[in-house]
Amino acid sequence: MKPVVLMVGADKGGVGKTTVTRTVLDYLAAKNALVRAFDAEHPRGTLQRFHPDITEVVDITTAADQMKMIDTLATSEIKVSVIDIRAGLLDETLKTLTEVGFFDLVDAGEFNFGLMHVVGSSVASLDEIAEVLPYVKGKHYFIVKNFINDTSFFEWNPTIYRNYFRGTADAVEVTIPKLNEMAYEQVELSGVPFSDFVANRQSNGQQVNNSLVLRGYVRTWLRQISDEYDRVGLLDRLYDRTAAAA
Amino acid sequence: MNTTASGFSTGSTIERPRPPDPQSGPPHRSVAAIVASLHGRAGKTLLARILADYFILSGRRPALFDTDAAERMLHAAFPDDAIVVDLTEVRDQMILFDTLVARSAASRVVDVSHHAARRFFKVMQESRFAAEARARQVEPVIFHIVDRNADSYEAARLLRERFEDCALVLVENAFLGKVKDRTRRSPGFQAFEDHELRMTLPCLDPEVLDIVEDMHLSLSDLMREPLSRGAGGGPLSFDERADLRGWLGGIFRDIHRVTRAVETRALSLAPAGP
Repeated sequence: MKPVVLMVGADKGGVGKTTVTRTVLDYLAAKNALVRAFDAEHPRGTLQRFHPDITEVVDITTAADQMKMIDTLATSEIKVSVIDIRAGLLDETLKTLTEVGFFDLVDAGEFNFGLMHVVGSSVASLDEIAEVLPYVKGKHYFIVKNFINDTSFFEWNPTIYRNYFRGTADAVEVTIPKLNEMAYEQVELSGVPFSDFVANRQSNGQQVNNSLVLRGYVRTWLRQISDEYDRVGLLDRLYDRTAAAA
Repeated sequence: MNTTASGFSTGSTIERPRPPDPQSGPPHRSVAAIVASLHGRAGKTLLARILADYFILSGRRPALFDTDAAERMLHAAFPDDAIVVDLTEVRDQMILFDTLVARSAASRVVDVSHHAARRFFKVMQESRFAAEARARQVEPVIFHIVDRNADSYEAARLLRERFEDCALVLVENAFLGKVKDRTRRSPGFQAFEDHELRMTLPCLDPEVLDIVEDMHLSLSDLMREPLSRGAGGGPLSFDERADLRGWLGGIFRDIHRVTRAVETRALSLAPAGP
């Protein structure tokens, strides 16, 4: 199996990028995929707080950390790398990766690359997409509409939207549904993966007694997301298997 | 009047309900009784009250929940005990289900208003309440009251299918009249022909019923001790008292029978404990 790099990024902060990354890590774990994660929110590391065992905080602007991620791809036992790009750095990161020849390797078929682009509700997000498109031509590009915080996408006029998407046949739209606020807050406080919250595990692996109701909300929400990732064939695409009908 | 130490009458009209004997009976499991029906005015609050009184008389003071935040009928009957919850609020869903599922010897009774039923059963399903409750020695039981119409049996059938891991007691309420012929021919009705867990709320003299519907009357007190209060505030006549006790005693026996059957079944399904 080829190594896989899945990036999760957003130009704007506060669109729930790290939350989406966490759902991806839970999804991959549920599919028995061995995953390592890089948290590019250097030096803060929100992702690392939730998935400390598999996450390393990196400063993607330094050559040393770029090497840590990219040079190990071929040798690592763990074939799937998920990178949570720092908000506002998506464009820059893509540029840097181009400069260091990362996309040449992708084009040469050395490994697979996917980008999950978490977008906000404003028209500015459409500009973001336009900026990113040149980099992801021929790659797996997922546009993630995130409703976790109950964003409404009213600003997305269908005509404007279609204009932007001309020639982006590869773009796959993913919708992340809303999670009840109280449930979301409790998981934040627990600082554990969503799936551990559901399973009543705390960060040291011990049993806790989370609210039955809130666990129910999180479980249902995770299942909806898993169904959505199944629907768009996330794994099949990243593994280069016959892509599911999008 | 002969009374036992626990205050039950040993009169001939009723038998005292037998609480499970800790010495000879199976290990104790508490019951979470969920009282529901498709339509309003089916007798949910009445049955919830009777269940509450049954548990009180069994020496297991139950936790009581009233899901009708507007009418609060169960709360009117048990102002000190019943907790009113508004299931449109997540906080109240937590108060209800997290208490229902808690590992404790106390039994629990929920009066599920037909307005709140959809939401109640959605949360019950999504939280996997039944499986978690049973893992904590709490046995959930849905008491579904049906009426003369086929749709009420159909609703019970759907609930039974949806909650395979939860016992369902079909409650026929004689107050609601004889089941229609059309209902008898319906698939919903026929689906329950071999259903073992069932009971009936028998009819009661309308005047005596008025006494029961007086929410301030404690049915467990009525069973325990003589009352000064009767219809119109006067003392209960001997006949009224006998009627009432006989009626209640019959229902208590039914509740005892079905909850025992549920507990026995649960133990046969559960892995052998230490």
